[in-house]
Amino acid sequence: MVDINKLREIAKEVISRDDVRQVIGYRPGTYGFRARPAFVLEPDDVDELIFTPACVNNLATYITLEEKLPVPRGQEPDSRKVAVMVKGCDSRALVQQMEEKAYDREHLLILGIPCRGVVDMDKVNARFPDVLEKGEIALEGDKFVISFNGTKEEVAKDELLADKCKRCRYPTPLVSDQLLDDEVERFAEDDYSDIETLEKRSQDEKWAYWEEKLSRCTRCYACRNVCPMCYCEDCVLNRIEPMWMRRSVDVSENTAYHIARAYHLAGRCIQCGECQRVCPMDIPIMELNRKFYKDVADLYDYEPGTDAEASPLLSTFSVDDREDFIL
Amino acid sequence: MAETTKMAEDTKTDFDPNIVAFLCNWCSYAGADLAGTSRIQYPPNVRVIRVMCSGRVNPLFVMNALQQGADGVLISGCHPGDCHYMQGNYFARRRFNLMRNFLEYVGIEPERVRMSWVSASEGAKWKEVIEEVVEGVKSVGPMDSFKRRQLNW
Amino acid sequence: MAVKKLSKDKVGEALKELSKFRLVAPARSDDVVIFKEISDPAEAYLDYGNSTVPPKKMVFPQTETLFRFMVGDPELKEKNVEEEGTTVIFGIRPCDARAMSIVDKLFAWDYDDPYYQKRRALTTLVGMACTEPPSVNCFCTSVGGSPFSKEGLDILLTDMGDYYAVQALTEKGENLQKTLSSQLEDGGDEKKVEEMARAAEGKIKRSIKTDGIPEKIPTLWDSDVWKKVSASCLGCGTCTFLCPTCHCFDIQDEVEELGEGRRARMWDSCMFSEYTLHASGHNPRPSRKERTRNRISHKYSYYPNKFDDIACVGCGRCINLCPVNIDILDILEQVVEA
Repeated sequence: MVDINKLREIAKEVISRDDVRQVIGYRPGTYGFRARPAFVLEPDDVDELIFTPACVNNLATYITLEEKLPVPRGQEPDSRKVAVMVKGCDSRALVQQMEEKAYDREHLLILGIPCRGVVDMDKVNARFPDVLEKGEIALEGDKFVISFNGTKEEVAKDELLADKCKRCRYPTPLVSDQLLDDEVERFAEDDYSDIETLEKRSQDEKWAYWEEKLSRCTRCYACRNVCPMCYCEDCVLNRIEPMWMRRSVDVSENTAYHIARAYHLAGRCIQCGECQRVCPMDIPIMELNRKFYKDVADLYDYEPGTDAEASPLLSTFSVDDREDFIL
Repeated sequence: MAETTKMAEDTKTDFDPNIVAFLCNWCSYAGADLAGTSRIQYPPNVRVIRVMCSGRVNPLFVMNALQQGADGVLISGCHPGDCHYMQGNYFARRRFNLMRNFLEYVGIEPERVRMSWVSASEGAKWKEVIEEVVEGVKSVGPMDSFKRRQLNW
Repeated sequence: MAVKKLSKDKVGEALKELSKFRLVAPARSDDVVIFKEISDPAEAYLDYGNSTVPPKKMVFPQTETLFRFMVGDPELKEKNVEEEGTTVIFGIRPCDARAMSIVDKLFAWDYDDPYYQKRRALTTLVGMACTEPPSVNCFCTSVGGSPFSKEGLDILLTDMGDYYAVQALTEKGENLQKTLSSQLEDGGDEKKVEEMARAAEGKIKRSIKTDGIPEKIPTLWDSDVWKKVSASCLGCGTCTFLCPTCHCFDIQDEVEELGEGRRARMWDSCMFSEYTLHASGHNPRPSRKERTRNRISHKYSYYPNKFDDIACVGCGRCINLCPVNIDILDILEQVVEA
């Protein structure tokens, strides 16, 4: 369990440094069990910081999301470091961003939080519907303890745990300047059984499945914007010349959008699952990304976000790559 | 003569596929050209787009071609080790392996997305490649799924 | 108009009757509630809170053709909205209907938008009162609405247990009620409906006092409140696309190979970075801070100044579905305190 006072102390030390501009962490949400990102600029603000299983957001996305606006003449851009709190999965985003040379390592001060799992808010809301007053979620042993409206309830961890955590192989951040808790041993494996089930369907069934899902897509771009790996300033999904997918919303353009985005994440998606979490229409976007992830692991023995010194997948090749599909 | 008859029979079937082929300038395009100058007969269902290297082909071209209604897409390049630009075909090999598997997963039949190595001297192989690709596309029918269909029009 | 009754076991019949028109009702796609055109009454899902995407998309489609054109043909084929026929939106919540009457003003303001207005004229709204708030984040009562609000609706249904109370509110509503004369009975209790309305208002838990906010917001142009509230914003379009009062659109031409094409308009979001991107490359709203400031200002200041209505109906969708829990009520509280 993360000692919250230690976390706040460390955050306070960090933000008090001259060379740190902000600390990105978590704070309680505005209602119910939610937590939300916190951007601490002053030492006094550290008291709002928390870390609980409700802290589902991947904060690594803010490192590349923040706009680099031009500064007035005579001024220098603010080159101070950004400190960010990352769970195991989130840290892989930072590693992958560094692998792609998105920024210098010195730009970041990484506060790693070894994680024992976060909740799936949909599952929490289904189990405890209509909770407005701010509640808390804690993990004690193998049970989640849910406190709200003056009561406490224990729920088996498995019932509320996010699906991605059930196959998490990197609970401890892979890169950090400081770890805010003791390391967590790997507690799960990923056998891609969800993908294999879908792979076994007939072609007609596959398309029927995706047609239903992708017809719901409203092209809100939440999946793209939340993704820590989607940080191109000139995103292929927005291009007008060439226009890969039109702005009109129908199943054809939506499918093109999702195919293109998934392909651009091949060998880059670090499986944080945020895209699926944020989708307002409950489209199982991870099922798309995981197909690439599985193939990349099977065919090329490569896992993104694990080695900052590695070369990106599609800018390398081996003379022994499989070519049984080639005439 | 027998070949012409077979071809005529094929084109009499209901479905005449439209296949877009991206051919690398140095090997496959030259090989296809050789098939032509040698008067080798092969199905006329392929529209050729010449690119300098198979490594130039963006997998989104495949997605876009299918979306615009192509029934099949073929990418053809130099044999591994023989790429005019040394490595382009190796990159292409990786990209299309991944893209093809993914499109199959979404419901696009693998027969629609094909890749081949055809060198500049392999006019005969070109014919075989085309025949196999056309047959494969015919067996899965016209492109449907996410083809642009002017739904909101 | 006297309150009638629609027995719940006659709802299927009533929907069947209404499917003579273009009938739109809440339905399910997996577990997601959406409003869509249904032909089979069995598709209707009435045990719902509210849909994710508001039914504004039936009157203001996410993508719609404005006209079609053909190379060589000097005539443009304008889209004939009347072809779609009369539409009945069954089960729309009072906030979403009220949102339509708020947006109506904009589409009749500097330019009479023929597409929107024709569709709106051909649409009858059969509302479903909120006897329970669909969400803990509903705050319709703070912005001029209520769970039983009649504004914008042609008919209001209230779930009374084993029957719905049916109140026709407009001429359109009365006409539609006539087509359901075989399914409707007399004897609805208006007083009871009023009581339930009062009770429902009490169940709305979240609120904000909006007095003075439209005047205060422009004074906060340089305030650092905007940087603070937008720091976590992802710049996606979720809040705008799910908002029943948002109405911005982009227009694009789409051309097919054979020289035929169409001009279409589709929803756009002021939260996208390209929204104000100029052709020169300059962007007057370069970061999420400016765009957030714009969005809040538009909804709670510019729109009420022009049209006397806050462009927010308190449906709570943006609060529920914002990926990073940016909460409009939280922002407004900070605006008030700033």
